This record gives sequence, structure tokens and C-alpha cells, in this order.
Amino acid sequence: MKLTLTINNKPTTLDVESNMPLLWLIRDEVKLKGTKFGCGKAQCGACSLYVDGELIRSCSYPVQMANGKKITTIEGLSEDETHLHPVQQAWLDIQVPQCGYCQSGFMMAAAKLLAENPNPTVEDIKNGISNICRCGTHPRIIKVILLAAKLKNDGKH
Amino acid sequence: MENTDKKNKKGFSRRNFLAISGSGLTGVLALLYFGRQPIRRKISDIVSEMEIGADVSDLDPKLWFELNADNTITLKSPKVEMGQGIFTGFAMLAAEELDIQLDKIKVVHANSKNGVLSNTGVSNSTSSFYVIIREVAATLRETLKLQASKLWDIPVSSISTKDGMLISADKKISYADLAKQISKWEIAQKPILRSSNNFKYVGKEAKRIDLPDKILGKPIYGIDVTLPDMVYGAVLYSPYFNGKLKSVDTSNAKNTKGVLKIVEENTWIGVVATTRFAAETAVERIKADWDFAPNINTKDIEKLITVGNGNEVNIQNDGDTNKVSNQAIIGEFRTPIGFHACLEPSIVVADYQDNKVTLYTSFQNPAYIQTVVSEALDIEKENIDIIPAYLGGGFGRKSFKSNVVEAVKLSKAVGKPVHLLYTRQQEFQNGYVRPNTHHVLKGKLGKDGKILAFEHDIATGPMAFKALPAIAEPILGADFVVAGHGSRCAYQIPNIKTTVWHNNLPFETSMWRGVGMFANTFAIESFMDELAYKANENPLKFRIDHCDDTVQLGRRKKILEIIAEKSGWHLSKPTDIGRGLAICDDRKTISAAVVEVKIIDGLIKVTKVIQAIDPGKIINPDGIRQQVEGATMMAISASLYEQGTIENGQFEQTNFHNYQVVRLSDAPEIEVILHEGADMPSGVGEPPIAPIAPAIANAVFNLTGKRLRSLPLQLAFQESKS
Repeated sequence: MKLTLTINNKPTTLDVESNMPLLWLIRDEVKLKGTKFGCGKAQCGACSLYVDGELIRSCSYPVQMANGKKITTIEGLSEDETHLHPVQQAWLDIQVPQCGYCQSGFMMAAAKLLAENPNPTVEDIKNGISNICRCGTHPRIIKVILLAAKLKNDGKH
Repeated sequence: MENTDKKNKKGFSRRNFLAISGSGLTGVLALLYFGRQPIRRKISDIVSEMEIGADVSDLDPKLWFELNADNTITLKSPKVEMGQGIFTGFAMLAAEELDIQLDKIKVVHANSKNGVLSNTGVSNSTSSFYVIIREVAATLRETLKLQASKLWDIPVSSISTKDGMLISADKKISYADLAKQISKWEIAQKPILRSSNNFKYVGKEAKRIDLPDKILGKPIYGIDVTLPDMVYGAVLYSPYFNGKLKSVDTSNAKNTKGVLKIVEENTWIGVVATTRFAAETAVERIKADWDFAPNINTKDIEKLITVGNGNEVNIQNDGDTNKVSNQAIIGEFRTPIGFHACLEPSIVVADYQDNKVTLYTSFQNPAYIQTVVSEALDIEKENIDIIPAYLGGGFGRKSFKSNVVEAVKLSKAVGKPVHLLYTRQQEFQNGYVRPNTHHVLKGKLGKDGKILAFEHDIATGPMAFKALPAIAEPILGADFVVAGHGSRCAYQIPNIKTTVWHNNLPFETSMWRGVGMFANTFAIESFMDELAYKANENPLKFRIDHCDDTVQLGRRKKILEIIAEKSGWHLSKPTDIGRGLAICDDRKTISAAVVEVKIIDGLIKVTKVIQAIDPGKIINPDGIRQQVEGATMMAISASLYEQGTIENGQFEQTNFHNYQVVRLSDAPEIEVILHEGADMPSGVGEPPIAPIAPAIANAVFNLTGKRLRSLPLQLAFQESKS
């Protein structure tokens, strides 16, 4: 089917199978590789991105549901590479990633959590994000979201 | 310097590149072909002391470094970056000798066309390259000085280097500008290395150089590789162990829009299509019947892996173990099958053209894929190029079996590059696993309350045999080298006996982060706690009482003293908290953990972990903290939740809904204490994973009086209530 999408503020027209997962459209057709495949069953969150501002797991989201909508991926989270989103800045400051593969998904989830709850508690973070990380960056992710909240509230980023 | 590499590349010996992991061991094996018990014990003695060295020998700086026009230097890393921070550690080591600012060093993966490749694993990336990286960097610096001395016609001794510049009394030139003027390089002699007392970077906090790309979502992983004209593969494998195709119908698959080709083999059917979705849709439409052994279940595998079954190899017999009599204290432990579950599944992009192939992949062991592709497709190894990419997790899973042969065959079938990915289900059912284990420990206390005799029997499937020549299995009799790693009791006890019982399993087993140390430390350190309790002694003091002043036990004692102080071990605690301790000596690194637990809603909750580690020389302190925190979380996951189970000849686990792993809600407060107790660096990736399971179990005992003797502990705890 013919699709019209806005991806990271860029209008895009594509012709793909209607039930292709949005993940493969973003990665293989649009060539934005920051969004990752992890499980294919919406279990791990590595493929998290925004559709009209909603956090979704794109491995299990057919492209037809995204038609006409605005998509934001990790590549579109910051204005540009010199003006990092507070979440990405905090992620660098605290040196969170190890292998880094799951981190785009975590950053997308963290940015969404902070948009809805500017001052989360540790419990809010633990209960609010269910993504999987195998390297074990969990303690730093909790710490970094608290820092990102502060950066955001201080208006530094 | 890049341009001058061509001539050298021709002469580049790929023999170095083909050195396989465990090559040192192969030498030991060749000498000891007559082996039986005494010799096996001797091998075990040697192996337990052995450090696995670097598997590279070509130290020509042109293969390791490139001088860039902007006066930065690129280091082509022989090791892959899989999250362990090795690129940053290597940059720090290189900077010590290159006299250039740390941020002027870039690190990329070497590939088989331009550099030296090595196996990444066994936690030796830093320790085995600690000297080599500095030697090559120092040789490059001296080479630059030598070239400058020729250019300026002055002695080398009158030239110095600083911040990327060559400096004499009246002249100055950047490394890059000098390199532009050199057409023929003369490589300097290897100089004497600078003393570690003068290190500028090593030992100080450094920001990881791979993280900017990782937070921006840059396409750096194997899965991100895109080539012109690339198409997508998908493969159907047997979900059952060793399944062979009985019958297959691909007619519906062939009709799927976008399908270019279907390839049928004995054990798999591959589809190539213009999109991954088309390839995966076509695979779903294949109707296949498999021949397989249906009656294999978890219970059968546990029975197979039971002390007393299989081949018995005694690896340690110190003193008189007859001292362990029938009145001994006995502890029996089990650990389950474990999956690596790297978030990036096996991935390869294969580009086959005219009996040559280029492989783009995130893999720990390049020599292995080169060998299997060469054998499966009868391609000369010289014609198989490997371009490594960042790994989305490794943990030992990306050392052996991968889908590389399938990818090459699919590429050959369509004449185009093919991108091939395991599904998550295939990653569970068609990879390899950490074998389950069974342990029987016997101990006898002397009148002084110290251990008089200690006996450990462990049954396990193999981990190392995939890495060693086929002859290793009959010589060794059991895999005491890797699966048995950590089975020897390291404490000062007069009478010790260790025996490994070997059986092969009907599915593939190999290394998992920490290898045998994970299961063996669970058994030994749980049992030490039990003996301490029986001796009516504090578990920490009891351990110290069994350490003498030999080097490794002395380091162990020191770490026990440090963690006692930092964890408040001797202080009182709330009654709803249990506190447990465990320690291991793994790859010359001492790693100890004190864990605090609570029981919340009937479940074990790890609330606090203090890890103290002595990794020898510390390169990047925060890099080590990351590894320790990560190992702690992975170990909490494997200790509390993870378990592979088998029903009807297949693994029951297919995705994360039936293989529980830790999430953010499981993260305790973690404190990491570093102690530099030796002059040379030792491993960090694996050691801190081992003390966690026994420390949790010991904490549960401390709180509830229940001794949990099998992993996963959450399940053992529920069963202990019924």
C-alpha cells in the first residue's frame, strides 16, 4: 500500500506491504538504523519509537496503522547532534551504555516518561519502563533518568 | 600511512589471524597425549594457573594504526567492542606511548583486509594486550622519529614527541604532515616501554569513546550493515534438537510477493526476498515435517548430568581425601541450562562473488567463521574476508555457532549480498546454551573448627570442546578446563579432592559469561557458608581462616577484609534483612559480593549489593565499575529467574515471555569497590558474575534459615515452602 508518513519531521511516501512491521520500514526502507530489533513480539522494547507522540513497540506495529502519522525515532529525539535532548545528554554524562544495543529504546521510553512525569521517583522509573537490557545497565538507567529530569527542569537542554 | 599499506598487505600472513582461542592449550594437549588420571590432574594444575595470552604475533604498526590528515590516529582494534569498553582501554594504552592527546585517538575494528584480528572472550582483552598495544604504539612513535631524523638529517636522539608533534631544537612537524612526506617507511626497532609510574591516562577515569555514537543511534552494529543491492534472507530451522527434514512443501512460500529464491538443505530451508518481511512471511508459509528424537525432557537431561553418570575425571587430589568419611557434611546443588539472550541476535551480511566472500558480522571469534565457511563451501580461507562490527551483546554466544554458512549459501544462490538474522525464537532454540550442572560436596570439620577435608564432584556438559581440536575430548575425558573452571577448591585445606563427571548433551553447549565459574562458585561458596554455620563461625571469618599468605589467597583475604568494612558486615542490621557473602578467584581477579535480601510478597528481593574487586592493574576505573554493575545484574537475572527447560526434544523457551530476565524493577542499590592488588591487569568481564548466586542464597539462609540448593533461586524458594 502507498503510505504517507512524517518521519523525524520529514514527509515521506513509501509503497510497502500493509502489514509489514513499522520497524522494518524504518530500518530497511528509510535506513534509520537506531531503532533496533530485539524480540519481534513487543517484549523487550529495543524497537521503541513514537507514533504521533505515543511510545510504541514498532516490531509489532503494522505500517498501515502509522499511515498519515508523525514518527519520531532516536535519530529525531534531539534537535541536532550539537543540541542533545536532556535524556541523551544525561546518558552521556553518566556513561550509561555498554553494548548500547537496547539503549535507543530505553532513551525513547525515558524521554516519554519525563514528558508525562517531570519529577519521577525511583519507583516511578522502575514501574514505568519495562524494557530489557542484557548488559545490566539498569542501576545507571535509574540514576540517569533522575539526572535527565533535573537537566530538563533546569532548562539547560 | 594508509597508502603505503598495500605492499605490506600482500605479505600479511594470515596465519596470525587464524590463531584460535585456546591455542596455548592445544600445545599442552599435544605434549600430553598419553593422558590418564595423573596427567589429567597435571593438566588441570597447569590450566588452573595458566593465563591465556594474545593470539596475535604480527606487531607491524602499519597493521594496527593509521595516521590521519587531521593529525588524529586511528587504532584498528583486533578485539571487538561488545560493550566491555575495550576500545577505550586500548586508546588509553596507545596514548601512553604515542604522545598524543587521548581524544585524538580513534578506534575502529580491524578487518581481515587491513589489520590483525583476534578472538574476543575469556576476559583477556585487556590483560593479553596490555603490553602489546603499548609496544606497537611505541614502535610507531619511534618510527615517526626515525623518519623525521631522515627528513631533517639529524640524530633520532635529538627529536622528541609531544601532543602529536615531532620536535627538534629548531624544527617542528605534526605526525600527519610528516606522514604525507614519507613514501617508504622504515619501521623502528621496538623500544623499551615507559614505566607504569609515568602513566598519564591509565588508572584515571576516561569517558568511553564509543558512547557518542551509541546515544545518537548511529549504524554501528552488525545488524545495521547495508550494502548496495542487498537483499534479505530468512531461514526455517528445526525447532527440535538435531531435526532433519522429513518432508517439505515450499509452494506457498514460492508464491509470496518479493521472493527471489528458496534454498533447501538437510537441516534448513532458506528464503531470499526483496524485503525481510517478504522473506519472513514466506518462511511462515513453508510446511515442514522433521525427524527428531521426541522423548527428551528436562528430567532426562538432569539425569544425564548427575554425579556418578558419564566419564569420571579426577582433577585434584591433595592430601588424603579418605579423611572425608561417612560422617561428612554433604551438600548437593544444581544449576539449570542458561541462555545468553543477547539482544542483537546472530547476524551476518554475506556478499559472495566468484568464489570469494566478504562477511560483515558482529561476532566474537573471526577465525571460527572463516573455518566453517571454508569447510562448508570449499572456499580458500584467503578468499574469505571478515569485516567486524559492534556487537549488541556477546556473553560467549557469539563465539561459535552462527548463521554464517546459511548466509553465504543464500548469497551465492542469488548473486547478491544477503542480510540474514536469527529470529528471537531461533536464538533460543537453534543457538547453544550453558550446560546444566550437578554438584555433590562433602566436607569434614576438624576439632579446631577448620575444614579438614573437602570433596567436590561436579557433573556437567562440555563448554570448551567446540574451541579445541577433536582430539581434546578423548585426552581430557571431561571438560574440566572450561566447564570445570572454578571447580577446584582454592581455600587452604589439607585434604582436597575434585572430580568432574562428563556427559555430552543432545544439544549444543558452550561458553556463557563466567563459564564454569558461575555454577561452581554457587556450589562451593554456598557450601562454605554451610560449613561455617556448622562450625558455628562467622562466614566471613571462616573464609579468612582458610586463606594463607600465598599470593592469590593473600589477595582473597585482603578483599574479604575490605568488603567486611565497606559492607558493615559485622554491624547489626534490621531483622527483615538477610545478608550473604561469596567470593571467587577467576582469571587472577578476586571478586567478592555482599548481598542483602528481603522477602517481599513471598519473593526474594535483592535490595543491596556491594561488590569488591581486585582486578590487578586498573586501566579505566569507571569501565570496571560498568562491568561489575552489569555482571551483577546479569547474575541476579541468572540466579533468580533464568532456566532453560526441555519438552518433547526442544527447548520450551521461545521468547522473553517464557524466559524471564531482570528488568529495572529488579535493580538493587549497587556499590562497587575497586582495589588494585597486582601490577598486571587481569579479567573483569566475567569474575564479578560468579559470587552473586551464592551470596543471594546465603543471604536467604541468613534471613529464613532455608538453604537453597538449586538455581533459579526464586523457584527453589517457592519449592522450599511446600
